[in-house]
Amino acid sequence: MHAPPEIKKPHPRELATLLRGEVEEIRAWSERQDVRRLALHIAVIVAGAGCYGAAMGWWRSPQQALFTAIKFPLIMLLTALGNSLINGMLALVLGLNIPFRQSFSAIIMSFAIVAAILGGFSPLIAFMVWNAPDLITHASAGGAYSFILLAHVSAIALAGTTGNARLFQLLERLGGNRKVAQKVLFAWLAGNFFLGSQLSWIMRPFVGSPGLPVEFLRATAFKGNFYETVLGMLTHLFNH
Amino acid sequence: MTDASRPLGEDPSDRVEIPHIFAAIDAILRHPRRIMYQLNQSTGSRLILSMTMAAVVCSLIYGVVAGTFSGGSQLWIAPVKIALGLMISALICLPSLYIFTCLSGSKARLTEICGLLAGLLLLMTILLIGFAPVAWIFSQSTSSLAWMGTLHLGFWFIATIFGLRFLEAGFSYSQARSHAGFYTWVIIFLLVAVQMTTALRPILGKSDTFLPKDKKFFAVYWGDCLSKSIDGPPAREHD
Repeated sequence: MHAPPEIKKPHPRELATLLRGEVEEIRAWSERQDVRRLALHIAVIVAGAGCYGAAMGWWRSPQQALFTAIKFPLIMLLTALGNSLINGMLALVLGLNIPFRQSFSAIIMSFAIVAAILGGFSPLIAFMVWNAPDLITHASAGGAYSFILLAHVSAIALAGTTGNARLFQLLERLGGNRKVAQKVLFAWLAGNFFLGSQLSWIMRPFVGSPGLPVEFLRATAFKGNFYETVLGMLTHLFNH
Repeated sequence: MTDASRPLGEDPSDRVEIPHIFAAIDAILRHPRRIMYQLNQSTGSRLILSMTMAAVVCSLIYGVVAGTFSGGSQLWIAPVKIALGLMISALICLPSLYIFTCLSGSKARLTEICGLLAGLLLLMTILLIGFAPVAWIFSQSTSSLAWMGTLHLGFWFIATIFGLRFLEAGFSYSQARSHAGFYTWVIIFLLVAVQMTTALRPILGKSDTFLPKDKKFFAVYWGDCLSKSIDGPPAREHD
């Protein structure tokens, strides 16, 4: 039988443990309430997602870089916080008997992994943006725009997949049941996607159209929602 | 190149100290395992600094040779751009290398990763020095910018392959479960380095400005150079 790993004080080097997916150690962290470790993971989210957001927004302008650097981590943290109650409840009703704070810290840990990966890719994105034609003077910078968009999709897909894979490994170890872990992960993903999409909608723009001014939030941020807009687009598409 | 089945430090030659830059250059060529072992010791940081400084000096020397194609101000502009471009490319790619290393399950610390990357740069630039006499002879006997650009890129690519072999060997010793992340990073590094040559153009040719006025993807720039060399007179012309 494996001896439980020794719990050390939180340290930035733990980021490597999270990325490597050392499940036993991560499980030990999640079972022990440690505000300093939670603060460390939140700091990683702010730093990593902030750097990525800055690289993303830089293509529009330095001011947009600052705005997106603030908004990107905010979306992740608000999604985790906004869904903390329902995620905790869903875990219980789906058969994963863990306290609410453990659900919350597990999600924060997975977001920290996502943010760390995005932060690691942020210099690459910034380099790509530096090499791309100016978005304002070359509004139809078609090829470069598509390439950068593809890079964003790839980076976010890799980060998201890895974060969720690590979360699944943790849930499986906490519950001891693969099927329960799958149901809980799916439920959490659905809820986080639902709220996260709307928060992203409210917090737009992240790059910003060259024809519109640089703003922290659009004037119509709280008028309408993501799903209404998508439904409207689909209706328009099928009616023409 | 290295025997990954034997742990680092098992061979007595691994444990020989590397007191200065010349010892580091000798070790990277003859005893790469020694470099990998010493990166884990207390003198690891000093070794990383030595290797980085040596890589900068070697890239400056190669840059002077590259600059002899156009001469004049390119004799200092080319080395500055080559050295800067190499270091900036490495810095841009370092965070993603660390991420991919960790995702692969490797136990390597950030210091070791920095050291392996410094080793890649050192080996790459030493081999470029080896190619320098060949590059100089060609630069004195041809006036085709496209040909010289292709030649330098070819030398760079060969040197980089050997540097990446060193990095992969170091990666193998770090208990990584998979090399998929490492190979992905290699593609990213090659693309960044190649794009950097376009971002800092011209390196061989001449220009009125230190950096280009417009931004181009490297494939587009190479296509333009090739078209110019086919359509126009081959000359050491402005970019």
